Amino acid sequence: MITAHRLTKTYGDRTAVDGVSFTVEPGRVTGFLGPNGAGKSTTMRMVLGLDRPTSGSVTVNGRRYADHPAPLREVGALLEARALHPGRSARDHLRWLAASNGIPRARVDEVLDLVGITAVADQRVGRFSLGMGQRLGIAAALIGDPPVVVLDEPVNGLDPEGIRWVRTLARDLATEGRTVFVSSHLMSEMALTADHLVVIGRGRVLADCPTAEFVAQHAASHVRVRSPQHDEVATLLRHQGLDVAAHGGELRVRGLDPAGVGELVGRSGLLLHELTLVRSSLEDAFMTLTADSVEYAGASR
Amino acid sequence: MSAVGTHAWTRVEAPAAPGPGATLRAEWVKFWTVRSTPWSLAAMFLLGAGLTTLVCALSAEALARGDVGEPVGAFATWGVVFAQVTAVVLGALVVTGEYGTGMIRATLAATPRRGAVLAAKAAVLASTLFVAGTLTALAGYLGGNWFLDREGIGLALTDDGVLRSMVGSGLYMAGLGLFAAAVGLLVRHTAAALAIVLGLVFVVGNLVMVLPGAWGEWATKLMPGNAGSAVATPESFNPLLLDPWVGFAVFVAEVAVVLAVAAAVFTRRDA
Repeated sequence: MITAHRLTKTYGDRTAVDGVSFTVEPGRVTGFLGPNGAGKSTTMRMVLGLDRPTSGSVTVNGRRYADHPAPLREVGALLEARALHPGRSARDHLRWLAASNGIPRARVDEVLDLVGITAVADQRVGRFSLGMGQRLGIAAALIGDPPVVVLDEPVNGLDPEGIRWVRTLARDLATEGRTVFVSSHLMSEMALTADHLVVIGRGRVLADCPTAEFVAQHAASHVRVRSPQHDEVATLLRHQGLDVAAHGGELRVRGLDPAGVGELVGRSGLLLHELTLVRSSLEDAFMTLTADSVEYAGASR
Repeated sequence: MSAVGTHAWTRVEAPAAPGPGATLRAEWVKFWTVRSTPWSLAAMFLLGAGLTTLVCALSAEALARGDVGEPVGAFATWGVVFAQVTAVVLGALVVTGEYGTGMIRATLAATPRRGAVLAAKAAVLASTLFVAGTLTALAGYLGGNWFLDREGIGLALTDDGVLRSMVGSGLYMAGLGLFAAAVGLLVRHTAAALAIVLGLVFVVGNLVMVLPGAWGEWATKLMPGNAGSAVATPESFNPLLLDPWVGFAVFVAEVAVVLAVAAAVFTRRDA
């Protein structure tokens, strides 16, 4: 379990993380979603004790990260932008990590196998593809068999197969009862992976709810109606108490499905040229929700 | 340990704290698994032992005739002047190599106690440089002295300052490496760290000699490269320098101050 309480980080007069509070529960995948620059990585660095909060606190399983005697056995983390030396082999990278936390040497081979890079374990990681580097990063995160796993943008730069692999792994880790905290700027990816979402924008929590609830709330749909009798149709539908908005030559109708709209229009003898259900994508919902914060961040620079 | 995805994960027991040597072992593995370490040490040996041997071979005859005007003892560890560059490079890379790659975050996530990280890095670096520096000086002395002996001006290991200069070379290399590591910790950039340390030792250390009067004399005596290097040679080319152990004490104090500042900054700064 990860608990952040009024976590704040300022750099000079810029506030990167602004009074963020959330709880990441075990047994499910919690997505940490926000546009680039929203404060995700800064928050994750504070979780790992790498950056010092300006105020507020964050604990992992009830303790500050730095207070865990063997932190890699408590929290496994995939850090953004490969925290690796390009000249060291994958096996050696895992070896020093194991040594630092008193983890048996045998675990190195286990995690190499687990992420499927045993065959290239003795190659220098500078030669690794992005996907292999990411797998090594995940091997490093799992070396201490930790109850809490933190993955910062794990699918960045991965091919579809790699993305699916990370998604399955995250779900499996949660199914095993671990706490899984995954950051991403991709709403669509999080909708598939996460059970719960913490949405952040401009350093503030914008939403903290189950993914299904977020989708139901924000992914609104409407019916697109085109008619040569545009105005008459609009008047008719408005009289039925529906929310009708005119956009150029089309009407966007909310509050009724296409069948219902078609029947109403048909009974009144008006003509229809188009009747389409339009689902606004999750990505759109996410953009709408975070739009203000992105614009503000852009303007303040 | 459980395998991901095959069965329910349960914690059997709270993880025990790793033993006191864990951080040291981790740093030891890190130190020896990048190529810059063997390359730097090989370069130190070749420059240190090789140049000493070469220069002794070339100047033994002139030294024997007495027309060089320099003490024979100054030649016994002649190559150290150049070998010290490799100690600086290795010391800087141990730290800046981690900042340049982002590795430092992995290091501090694995061991949040930053003081322990710094102590382990310093111990691994200093002990390796001490052994390498001593062996380099010894090999150079053995090689060079073979030529000096042929001209009848050889030095015995038991002669005044000879053994001290062997061990002193190791100590000086260790100190110089720590100095570079501390500067690396402050500037977090390889090129900047190398420029500062090599500039101080090779350029500023020699430039201050032209300062007038007592000012210049003391500045020369106290510059880290000048104060610290006297211990690494049986007899110095520069008679102005402090006595070997006095100079080395000054050097150690200087390194300690920079290290203390670097440690204070390191423990407070965001990674």
